[in-house]
Amino acid sequence: MSLIATGTTYLVEVRLRAEFADAAGLAALAQLQHAGFAAARSVRVSSLYAVCGLLNQSHVQQAAKELLSDGVTQEFKLLSGAPVLDGMNHWRVEVWLKSTMTDAVGESVRRAMAELGLPEPERVRCGTAYRVLGRTTRNVLERAVRRTLVNPVIQTFTVTEAYD
Amino acid sequence: MTDLAPLRQAQPVEEGLRFTTLPPKDLRNLSAKFGWSLSDVELEDIRAHFKKVGREPTRGEAETIAQTWSEHCKHKTFNGPIRYSDGKKSRLFKSLFAETIVKATKDLSKPWCLSVFKDNAGIVAFGKSGRWALAVKVETHNHPCAIEPYGGAETGIGGVIRDVLGAGLGAKPVLNTDTFCLAYPDYAGPLPEGSLQPGRTLRGVVAGVRDYGNRMGIPTAGGGLWFDDDYRLNPLVFCGTVGVLPAWAVRKSVKPGDLVVAVGGPTGRDGLHGATFSSAAMAGRSDRAAVQIGHPLNEKRVLDALLVARDRKLYRAVTDCGAGGFSSAVGELAKECGACAGGALVELEKAPLKCSDLEPWEIWLSESQERMVLAVPAKGFAELERLFRAEGTNCTVIGEFTGSGRLVVTHKGVKVADLDMGFLHDGMPKVERRAVWSDGARPKTRPPAAYARGAGAGHADRGRLSGILTRMLAHPNVCSREWVIRQYDHEVQAGTVIKPLQGLRHDGPGDACVIWPVAATSEWNDRSGFAVGHGLNPSYGKLDPYWMAMCCADEALRNLLCVGADVSKASFLDNFCWASPEAPEQLGGLVRAALGCHDAAKGYGVPFISGKDSLYNQSRDEKGRELGIPGTLLITAVAPVPDITQAVTLDFKGPGNSLILVGVTKGETGGSLLGQMEGEGGEVPKPDPKAAGKAFRGVAAAIAKKLVLSSHDLSEGGLGTALAEMAFSGEFGASLELDQALTSPPMLSDETILFSESPSRVLLEVSPKDDLAVMRCLKGVPARRIGSTTANPVIKVSGLDGSIVLESHLVDIKAAWQRTLPELLK
Repeated sequence: MSLIATGTTYLVEVRLRAEFADAAGLAALAQLQHAGFAAARSVRVSSLYAVCGLLNQSHVQQAAKELLSDGVTQEFKLLSGAPVLDGMNHWRVEVWLKSTMTDAVGESVRRAMAELGLPEPERVRCGTAYRVLGRTTRNVLERAVRRTLVNPVIQTFTVTEAYD
Repeated sequence: MTDLAPLRQAQPVEEGLRFTTLPPKDLRNLSAKFGWSLSDVELEDIRAHFKKVGREPTRGEAETIAQTWSEHCKHKTFNGPIRYSDGKKSRLFKSLFAETIVKATKDLSKPWCLSVFKDNAGIVAFGKSGRWALAVKVETHNHPCAIEPYGGAETGIGGVIRDVLGAGLGAKPVLNTDTFCLAYPDYAGPLPEGSLQPGRTLRGVVAGVRDYGNRMGIPTAGGGLWFDDDYRLNPLVFCGTVGVLPAWAVRKSVKPGDLVVAVGGPTGRDGLHGATFSSAAMAGRSDRAAVQIGHPLNEKRVLDALLVARDRKLYRAVTDCGAGGFSSAVGELAKECGACAGGALVELEKAPLKCSDLEPWEIWLSESQERMVLAVPAKGFAELERLFRAEGTNCTVIGEFTGSGRLVVTHKGVKVADLDMGFLHDGMPKVERRAVWSDGARPKTRPPAAYARGAGAGHADRGRLSGILTRMLAHPNVCSREWVIRQYDHEVQAGTVIKPLQGLRHDGPGDACVIWPVAATSEWNDRSGFAVGHGLNPSYGKLDPYWMAMCCADEALRNLLCVGADVSKASFLDNFCWASPEAPEQLGGLVRAALGCHDAAKGYGVPFISGKDSLYNQSRDEKGRELGIPGTLLITAVAPVPDITQAVTLDFKGPGNSLILVGVTKGETGGSLLGQMEGEGGEVPKPDPKAAGKAFRGVAAAIAKKLVLSSHDLSEGGLGTALAEMAFSGEFGASLELDQALTSPPMLSDETILFSESPSRVLLEVSPKDDLAVMRCLKGVPARRIGSTTANPVIKVSGLDGSIVLESHLVDIKAAWQRTLPELLK
C-alpha cells in the first residue's frame, strides 16, 4: 500500500444517535473537567474514517452503512467542507493517528471494504471526533485535550470552534 | 542465493568517519548519537575487533552489535560478574543468573520441565495423556508504556503472545495475564515534561491489553495491580501468555540450507532501537521512534497459519521478531544451526516493506510488530507459502541458513553486514559490577506512606478496627479490580473455569484463574487444567528484597493452592524490574532478590522455568533528580489442576461452616498494609518454606478429598481482608474468635492478629461434619478452627478479651472495596 494517496479522500463520521447515552463521551467529559476545563458541560464522541482511493460517493456510503455503523444505535454522514462556527460554545476536537503510525483498524476497514465487493481503497485512516459543549478559550481546551485525549507522540489533533 | 563475490562496498557507520581510529570520547558521542547504549569497554572491544579484521564496521554491523549486546537482549547484569558485599561478607558471582535461578532449577531437576531458559518461553509437561505441554512466558514492556501507554501495552501483549508462538515449534495461546505497577491514579503532584498523569497511563495500558487480547481471541484472566507513587515516571507493565503445544513440538532445530522465511506483517520504520532504548535510563523521554502500535488481526493470521504449518511439519524452527527485529530473530536461529558454527545469508531487498525509503540497516533492525522468522526446508516452502497466503499474510524467503559461521546481510548487492557469529554472540566483554547490601542501614520499617487520598478514608464509625478494615478494603492495592477485569474478554475459548471475578454475583476477587485448554487439545475426556497465580509486593522489597522474593514465591504458590492446583508440580517465572544496576546499592538489592528466588525455589521445591529482567527503570523528575522505581519482582506460578471440576473458589458457600486458619500469625507488619496506613513498624514477613510446604501438602490433601468448600490466601491486609473478601463474595457473614488463632509470640494485639501479613497462611471454609477429617489432613501443621460462617451478613470478631472488636456489615465493606477504582478513574 502506498503512503501517497492518488484517489479521492472521503471523510465519514459515525456517531451514536442522540437518544443513546454516550459512555465514552461521559468518560471524556470527566477527564476534560479534571484536566482544567471545569466548564465542560457535555461531550459526544464519534468515529472518523478517512477513506482514500478510486471510489465514488455511493461506494463510501455503502461501506458506512453496511460496515462502519450499526443502523440501530448509530448514524453516519459524509463530511464535506469545514465545520461552521455557531458561536454557541460548541467545540469540535478531531484526533488522528500520525501518518507514520500503523493504523490497525484502518487496515482492517480497507480489507473489509474489498470483501464487501467494493473497490479496495488505497488507504483508510481512523480518527475520533469529540463534540464538546462548554464555555472556554481555545488555549484552555487545547491544554486539557493534550493532557487527556491526545498523546502527541503518536497523534495529532485539531480544535475547531464549531459543532459539526 | 546471491553470489557474494560481486558485492559492492558497504555503507560506513557515518560518511567519512573512521570508527577504528576515533578517540574514546568521540566513540561515546557516536554511541549516544545513534542510541546504541554501548559502554566504553564495549565500544573499545568493537573497535579492536574491526582493527583486527582490518576494515571499518558498516552502519548495519554497528547497529547489529549494539542490539545484540544490549541489556535487553544479553541481560548483561544478570549474566555478568558481580562482586557482592553484605556487611563483612563478600561473594563474587560469575553470573548471578546461573548461580541463583538456573542453579536452583538444575539442582531440583524436575521431570515436568521440558525446556527451560533456552527458548522464547519455559515449557512444562501438561495433561494426563503425556501428549501436551504448556509454554509460559511473562514479559515487561515498561519504557514504551511510559511514553505511549496504549501502544506500549498493545505491543507488550502482542510480543509475549509471539514469544509463546515461537516457543518450541509454536504453541496455541490460551491465556493472557497482565500486571501493572503504577503511581496512584489520582496523583496530582508535579511531573517532568513528557510524563503522563498516572491515571491516564492506567487507562491506556488497560485499553492496550484489552484491544490486543480481545481481538486475538485469547482470554485475559489473570494479573494484578500495584500502586506506589515512585512508579510515576516509570510505570511497569508485565504481560504474560500461556500456550499449549504438542509434546513432540518442544524441540526446534536449524540445518544449513534451510530457508530463512519471514512471515507476518511488512517491515516499516516503527520501533527502531527498541532494545537499546529499553536498556538505558530514560533521559529527556525523547526516543519516540521506539513506540509502535500493534495490529492484532495480523498476528491472528500468523497464529492460525503457523499452527497448521506446525502440524504439517513444514518448518524446523521458529522465533519471533522482538527487540532487534530480523537481526535478533535470524541471529538467534542462525546460532542454533546444527553442530556447525551456524550462520546465515540474508537478502534484505526481499523483505516486504511498508514504505520504500527504508535504509537497509533500518530493514534489518526494525521492530515492526507481528513478524516471525522460520527455518524452512526448501521442499516444504511452496505449501507453507500457500498456507500463509490463504490467511492473507506475507510469507517470503529472505535468505538461507548456512554453516559458514558468519552472519551476512546484503541489500541489492551491497553488503550491509558480515559478522563473525562467535564475536557477535560471545564476544561481548564482561564488566564486573559492584553490589552492596547493608541491612543495618535500612530501617526495619519505612516511614508510613499513608494512603490518604481516595475512597473509604475515615470510616471509623464501627470501632477502630472496623474503620481500619474498611480503609484497607478501599485501599487501591486491595480494592476491586472489576473496572479493569470487565474490559477484558476472559471467557473466549470457553475454557476459563475459575474466573478472575468470583462469588455469588461474580464480582468478588479471585486468587488465581483455572484454565481448561480444551480449545487447544480437543481432549474432551481429559479434565486436566492449569492454574496461574502471581506474587508481588514491592513494599516488602523496600525493607529487604530477599524476603520480598520469598514472600512473592509463597504468595504465588498459595494462590494456586487455594484454587485446587497441584503445587507439588508447580513452576515459577521471575520478572525483575529494577532501577539502574550501575548503582551498587540498587544492584545489592537485586542480588538479594535473586538469592531469595534461589532459596524459595529450593525451599518450596519449585523450579524456575523462564523469566526476564528489565533494568534502568529510572528517570529524572521535574527537579532533575534521579527517581528509580522500588525494586520489583513479579513471581508467576503455574501448576496443573488434575481435575477442573474439583477447583475451589474463595466465596463462602453457606452458614454454619467452620473457618480454619492454617499457619501461625506473627507480628510481621513491616511493609504491610497496616504498617503503611497506621505507621506501624515490625518485621518484614519471613516465610519458612519447610513448614509452609508441609502446610500446603495438608491443605492440598483436604482439597483433593473434597473437604474444602472455599479457601483464600492471606496477603495484603492479612486475616481481616481475607475474611471480608470471602464473606462479601459469598454473601454470608462470619463470627471469629481471635483468641483461637495460633500466634507467635503468644500475646499479640487484636490488631496484629487481624492485619499481620505473616506468610504461608490460608483460611479454609469447611463443613462442620468434615472438621475432624480436615484436621487429620493437617496433622502436624499449625491450624485451628477460629470461627464459623453465619447467615447474618455481618462479620463479627471477638478480641482476646472476649469483647467484640470488629463488626462490619457486608454491604458497607463491599461498597468500600468496590468504589475505589471507579472513583479514582471517573
